[in-house]
Amino acid sequence: MKRKLIAAIGVAGMMVGIAACGSDDGKGGSTDAGGNKTLTVWVMDGSAPDAWIKNVNKEFEAKHKGVKVKVEIQQWNGIQEKVTTALSEDTPPDVLELGNTQTAGYAATGGLADLTEDKAKLGADGWNKGMLASNELDGKLYSAPWYAANRVVVYDKAAFKKAGVTPPKTRAEWIAGLKKLKASDPKSQPIYLPGQSWYVYAGFVWDEGGDLAVKDGDKWKGNLSSPEAVAAMNFYKELQSYSTAPKDKDEATPQQSTDIVPKGGVASWIGLGWEAGGAIDAMKKVKKTADFGYFPIPGKTADKPGSVFFGGSNLAVSERSPNKDLAKEWLALAAGKEHMAKYAEATQGALLPNNDAAQFKPAAGSFAEAMAQAASVGKITPVTPGWANVETAPNPIKDYMTKVLKGEDAKKAGEAADKVITERVNQQ
Amino acid sequence: MSTTTTPTPQVLRRRRPLRPGTVAKNAAALVLAVLFAFPVYWMFSSSLKPQSEILTKDPVFLFTPTFENYPTATGVDLFWTYVGNSLTVTIGAVLLALVVALAASFAIARMKFRGRKGLVLGVMMAQMAPWEVMVIVMYMIARDGDMLNSIPLLTAIYFVMVLPFTIWTLRGFIAAVPVELEEAAQIDGCTRGQAFRKVIFPLLAPGLMSTSLFGFITAWNEFAMVLILNKDKTAQTLPLWLTQFQTAFGNDWGATMAASSLFALPVLIVFLFLQRRAVGGMTAGAVKG
Amino acid sequence: MTVDSQGAVSAAPQDAPGSEAGTPKTPPPPSGSKHVLQPPRGRRSLPHGTLPYLLIGPAVLSMAVLLLYPLVRNVILSFQQVNRKELITRKPEWIGVENYTELLGDSAFWTVVVRSVVFTAANVVLIMVIGTLIGLLLNRLGTKMRLLLSLSLMLAWAMPIVASVTVFRWLFDEQFGVVNWLMRSLGLEGYEQHNWFETGFSTLVIVMILLVWGSIPFVALNMYAALTTVGTELYEAAKMDGASGWRTFWSVVFPNLKPFFLITTFLEIIWIFKAFAQVYAMNLGGPDRESETLPVFAYIEGQGQAHYGLAAAISVLTIVMLIAAMSFYFRLILKQEEEQ
Repeated sequence: MKRKLIAAIGVAGMMVGIAACGSDDGKGGSTDAGGNKTLTVWVMDGSAPDAWIKNVNKEFEAKHKGVKVKVEIQQWNGIQEKVTTALSEDTPPDVLELGNTQTAGYAATGGLADLTEDKAKLGADGWNKGMLASNELDGKLYSAPWYAANRVVVYDKAAFKKAGVTPPKTRAEWIAGLKKLKASDPKSQPIYLPGQSWYVYAGFVWDEGGDLAVKDGDKWKGNLSSPEAVAAMNFYKELQSYSTAPKDKDEATPQQSTDIVPKGGVASWIGLGWEAGGAIDAMKKVKKTADFGYFPIPGKTADKPGSVFFGGSNLAVSERSPNKDLAKEWLALAAGKEHMAKYAEATQGALLPNNDAAQFKPAAGSFAEAMAQAASVGKITPVTPGWANVETAPNPIKDYMTKVLKGEDAKKAGEAADKVITERVNQQ
Repeated sequence: MSTTTTPTPQVLRRRRPLRPGTVAKNAAALVLAVLFAFPVYWMFSSSLKPQSEILTKDPVFLFTPTFENYPTATGVDLFWTYVGNSLTVTIGAVLLALVVALAASFAIARMKFRGRKGLVLGVMMAQMAPWEVMVIVMYMIARDGDMLNSIPLLTAIYFVMVLPFTIWTLRGFIAAVPVELEEAAQIDGCTRGQAFRKVIFPLLAPGLMSTSLFGFITAWNEFAMVLILNKDKTAQTLPLWLTQFQTAFGNDWGATMAASSLFALPVLIVFLFLQRRAVGGMTAGAVKG
Repeated sequence: MTVDSQGAVSAAPQDAPGSEAGTPKTPPPPSGSKHVLQPPRGRRSLPHGTLPYLLIGPAVLSMAVLLLYPLVRNVILSFQQVNRKELITRKPEWIGVENYTELLGDSAFWTVVVRSVVFTAANVVLIMVIGTLIGLLLNRLGTKMRLLLSLSLMLAWAMPIVASVTVFRWLFDEQFGVVNWLMRSLGLEGYEQHNWFETGFSTLVIVMILLVWGSIPFVALNMYAALTTVGTELYEAAKMDGASGWRTFWSVVFPNLKPFFLITTFLEIIWIFKAFAQVYAMNLGGPDRESETLPVFAYIEGQGQAHYGLAAAISVLTIVMLIAAMSFYFRLILKQEEEQ
């Protein structure tokens, strides 16, 4: 649960200097004796580059005399219950970051302030349409998109060169390349792909034209047993057969970027910007040089890359905040075009800002460049309040994947998983 | 319980051979010692390894120790606040539990009153309390009573968590002190209170220590309650610190293990300090049931 | 009660205080008559029989406020629907026994109940048997070895749960596990990348190793300390009579330490049945929910899905089951209480 895969800082170096500007001036939200107000902002560990958020707050405090912004970094461990309970308090955090797959779940509770009226102020016109979707529920706006990121294939240039493989454009080329890699170095893994990388699998489902869950009247139902999803799973299985990664683990147990890749023997893997950064860093520590290349996950045909899950975060204002107006002001400032451009710059384009106009021009051959190519086909999980329940451990999609990889029939296992998904997705 | 007097006579049993037995015993002890200490050793040795040598296909037993993980662990913002809070709630809860339990267990062990049996039963059942699930209810009570982020409330909750066990153990322990001693003191002109202070209390030391140890471990490790009740970082405790090196961006195992080693240290110190008497105390209490 | 006169002064049963007026040694019932013995200083003013209530007052009061009241609230909660929305809006919805009917009609719930009971039983038996054996061993070791072994047991006891679960997960890791390495080094086949968490059963076995490892120190060290109160004369006597080690244990040690076994088993049953972190963190109840025990089930279906009312209902059922299972124990212990 701790990684809700909001993507995060792309540049590994940045992980060190995460915003530590929280000052300990007691309770958030309320007005003190001198009429000074404190605005409390919750951001997740690793989301906000230190210098960037300090800059935002400096500008904000200059504009609003007597207001102090207190940034509190939240850990992933136990965050859902923490946010849920916090939203029920009288002095909740005024502004808080929510994972994009989780936002609808909170929006439906009445715990988030309705921002529909403030669209203009927040600059909604310029927002990336793909990112906007997760912020809306039943036609109302409950949060502002902040950033998003998607996965690309990271490869070891030397290994690819040795095997005579170039970045593939189609799935067929991809598999052919993996075969060559295997032949050229039987001891290495052509690709490291654990059995439960379900966001990668979701991309394959979208490629086939299916979805993880579909609307069925006014209800939702799980859709893993659909022919599209079965085809996607079979492709995943084929791909996974080139890896010796555990079939019952996801990419974070053990952490592929820091625990697996630096040890060598991995020709390619699918990861986010911060993972690539983390791997480069970890390799530096053991005196190895990472020579990574990046390419978007290949699509079925060469004309467009494979679909990818658009992980990201939104910023919401809590309904019970005593400083709602101030909170909205802060939101408008931080998620506004100007500061988002700085955000994109601070993250070297490894995170996509909410506004295309704020996009940072990524360097050639960088992770960001590959990511931007795939961003046009970025998608998110079904936008419905119940989706958060599906993702919560034990995630039925992950269990399903493991079962199929261990030999169960994809359709049959899919039917069993659909039952659980249907039950969970319709719960509030 | 008069069964003890029948030590099977006639059937001639071979005397246990002494020497080989000793060797076997020592060997068994050695193997057990290694088995029990190994995970602890692994935690500690991992805390001294560079990240790249912590998870390896073939485990690394010999390495050049690095101490970089410790500054990482303790260099966290508010580290000393967490230390202070943890010590406050733990020691506060333990002391409070000792005082309150001492009074109650004295009454249970030495006095007759209506409702005594019910109390004993209640204390017994209280040990089944599902604290993990009660977090939400506790939270709602604290929220509605405006007592979130409160160190005193947290102390009070931990105090009640360890109270039943403390009463139980101390009660057995008081019961084990011969009444004659107390009577003698009273005949010598002590009040009942004085008799308690001068005669019983010193004999209770082991019981007090064993229960404090138990209470210390319980309160020191508590995680679920403080996570939800105290969201303000300045009111948080060390167990939350312990998990923060496992983040979305990779797990700093070295720092986690360094933090765990440091976290275990106070328990170990209390342990070694109380060791001899503590262990005896727990039993004397238990033996009395 | 012949044994009691030898050694083990402090633990000898007939010291039992406040006991009935059966044995001649027993003092007259406390509060009342004690005051007669007492020189006329202080305390006199206390109304008859108030003292015990004053003494238990703080304990009763604090347990009532911080344990009983939340428990009652928990029961109330179990009759409500409190999901994320209701928690945030603070408007719980009464749904009667729906949470209970949902649970009791769910076969998954019953599977988990059975699994929990079997799992607890297996654990407690192992803990008690091995713990007792180690306790006996400690009693027979020389000073140095005893110190070594008890130190090692203490280390295991002091290790924070967060760390011990992590370390055990590492030890049994598929790719980097020390156990797989050990197997390979011993020349065994098939441990190149053996998955120890392949099934729910294998996962629970590993959780069991962790729990047994973590619980034995408490039992073994206490057992050892309890043995020291039995007094060596008894052993000697038994040995003289030619009793085997096994016989000695059953005829001398066990009867003397019966209360110890009673209480320790009682505590271990409760602790193991309630163990959450170790089971959950090991493999999140997986694979495919096959290693879920009752507390893990409560967490996943309750807190995890933000169904707080349901979680409360599970906890209430858990308590009821525990009390039912333990009623035998309660009776035993209360009987002992009366005997005092």
